[in-house]
Amino acid sequence: MHAVNHGYNSAAHEQHEQVSTKQALIVDDELSNRIILKSFLKKIGYSVIQAENGAQALDLFCSEQPDMIFMDVMMPVMDGHEAVRRIRGIETTKFVPIIFLTARTDESVLSHCIEVGGDDFLTKPFSHTVLKAKVLSMERISRLHEKLGSLYAQMKKDEEMAEGVFSGAVIAGNVAMEHVRTLLQPAALFSGDVLLSAYGPSGDLNIMLGDFTGHGLAAAIGALPVSEAFRAMTHKGFSPQQILSGINRKLHGLLPTGMFFAVQFVSLSHTLDHVTVCNCGMPDVLLIDGENGEIKHRFVSNNLPLSIVSDTSYEETIQPYPVKQGDRVLLVSDGVLEARNPAKEYFGQARLDATIQNSTSPFRLIEEITDSLRNFCGDAPQDDDISLAEMPCEQIVLADWACLPPTQSKHTRHHFEEQNRPDQAIEFSIRLAGAHLRKSDPIPPIINQLQEMLGLQNQRRLLYTILTELYVNALDHGVLGLSSSLKQSPEGFTRYFSEREARLGNLDEGAIKIIINAQPTASGGSMIIEMEDSGPGFDYNSRLPGELPPDTQFSGRGIKLVSELCDSIEYEATGNRVKAAFSWTND
Amino acid sequence: MSVNTVESPEKNEVIIKVSGRFDFSCHQEFIKGYKAYPPGSKCYVVDLSQAEFMDSSAMGMLLQLREYGDKKAGVSLVNGSDNVKDILRIANFDKLFTIG
Repeated sequence: MHAVNHGYNSAAHEQHEQVSTKQALIVDDELSNRIILKSFLKKIGYSVIQAENGAQALDLFCSEQPDMIFMDVMMPVMDGHEAVRRIRGIETTKFVPIIFLTARTDESVLSHCIEVGGDDFLTKPFSHTVLKAKVLSMERISRLHEKLGSLYAQMKKDEEMAEGVFSGAVIAGNVAMEHVRTLLQPAALFSGDVLLSAYGPSGDLNIMLGDFTGHGLAAAIGALPVSEAFRAMTHKGFSPQQILSGINRKLHGLLPTGMFFAVQFVSLSHTLDHVTVCNCGMPDVLLIDGENGEIKHRFVSNNLPLSIVSDTSYEETIQPYPVKQGDRVLLVSDGVLEARNPAKEYFGQARLDATIQNSTSPFRLIEEITDSLRNFCGDAPQDDDISLAEMPCEQIVLADWACLPPTQSKHTRHHFEEQNRPDQAIEFSIRLAGAHLRKSDPIPPIINQLQEMLGLQNQRRLLYTILTELYVNALDHGVLGLSSSLKQSPEGFTRYFSEREARLGNLDEGAIKIIINAQPTASGGSMIIEMEDSGPGFDYNSRLPGELPPDTQFSGRGIKLVSELCDSIEYEATGNRVKAAFSWTND
Repeated sequence: MSVNTVESPEKNEVIIKVSGRFDFSCHQEFIKGYKAYPPGSKCYVVDLSQAEFMDSSAMGMLLQLREYGDKKAGVSLVNGSDNVKDILRIANFDKLFTIG
């Protein structure tokens, strides 16, 4: 009874140890040594497996994956040093402490124990108290390793997930990237640089290259709200300065002090005759002449980076500039200029400019800058994210709806013999005077209102173009009395916009009234847009229908575009009132 | 990289001198330097004569310092090299700091 009982208890004990305890591997060619050590280890909660030499130890290490190893040095077949060297050569994520137990006391042997990959050593004969202390210390290190491993795995997982969000939500929405040549070379998995692009309702291309303070995950956190605001506001037709104000406001509320977002914002007009640039704390944006490859204009930073000051206005610092088809705009992050070579010199603006001047082909510029950077930096480590983007001022980068062949657009609309539905007619008007003209662009909210009431999914952009062109004409030429003949030369172009800015800033009288009459039908609808400004008007009678106004270029082009998109366009009164008829079909 | 903080009590001024690369590696020392004084109590001057370079995280630290110090007196950034001044100019930091 007693014996049975004892046997039962002992078996249960063994089983318990196998299930829940840590396992030690004892490697020693002396049986007596193994027995003594085994009984000691069992007392402190280890189950034990044994090997008589290094070769057996290697096999057992692989098959049993012990938690700790006690290793003799001098053994037949394979000695302890060799066995440990080979064990450490095996890839494993688990940290297995190895304690050498040896009768040798010469220092070179002991230090060799650590060199080959052992974690500690003890000379025989050893005291159980000391051995126990060493085991506890090794267990502590094991736990740290385990914790570090799981934290690292968690970090990797988070980083991958964030990377997924970044490329899915931030980058995937980009447009025209097959025609915008880029060099994007992050310093970490996650770049603090963000390149975004989107089309406005008229087909304008907006490109924004931004640089968050620092890099890595912390820097990329702001990318999500930035890309959302950038796209939504671009799609709704807000101006570059309004978009930047919006992003600035959003980031200011979001980012802690000390974190900010430097930005180059470039908007290429669908008319392909000018770009609008805003530079907030970034290196110069460069305009490169399409014909001779010279740098023909620099857009220098004239704003603080975003997120630092709330409620910033970009109205006065926006930089419009005329371009010709074939010109190229180069966006550059500071990582390019601040790239260093092994001698710690910076790549700098002068080297970048020289590379551009010496460029052999417009199609190779980004490659040539890449090569030039690589040759300069050699094997020096990369400190900062490097980003370059080259936007060609060509039809191909604009939205496909930006160029509407007049014949086609006329054909798809028209022919309304259907019943009108007077009960669904919509009429509204808005009058903006003085200061309101200065502050707000009424077109995006009007479009949103119309879209809500009428649907107009596919006509939104056309309508946006029509309303914007009419409104800009009424404001610039009517209320502000600017002549577009100013815009014939690059200097005049800049003067035009600064003059516009100045007059707008001082505006306290003048008004524009917009009246919309929309009549939906079963398959579409029609709309009369009237726009009246307080200006003196112009002599519209001297022109034939469809003929360009005398001072052509910008306004002329705008009105020509509107007359192509509309069924009719008429000037009334002194020329300060225009009436455009627009019709559409739902398809 | 090193950060030295010197107080001149008669002017209620604290001069923080940064040497070498002024970047994230200075973060702890820089913050420790100005946080030795109660918030809003001191006028800070950052001496950049020995700073050979400045990155965006350094500019972030300057913004934090601006928020910490005496708001009325502001923060002065003095003796920067051309290189450093260039970086401050690009960021338009003259709108927020006195640069000398």
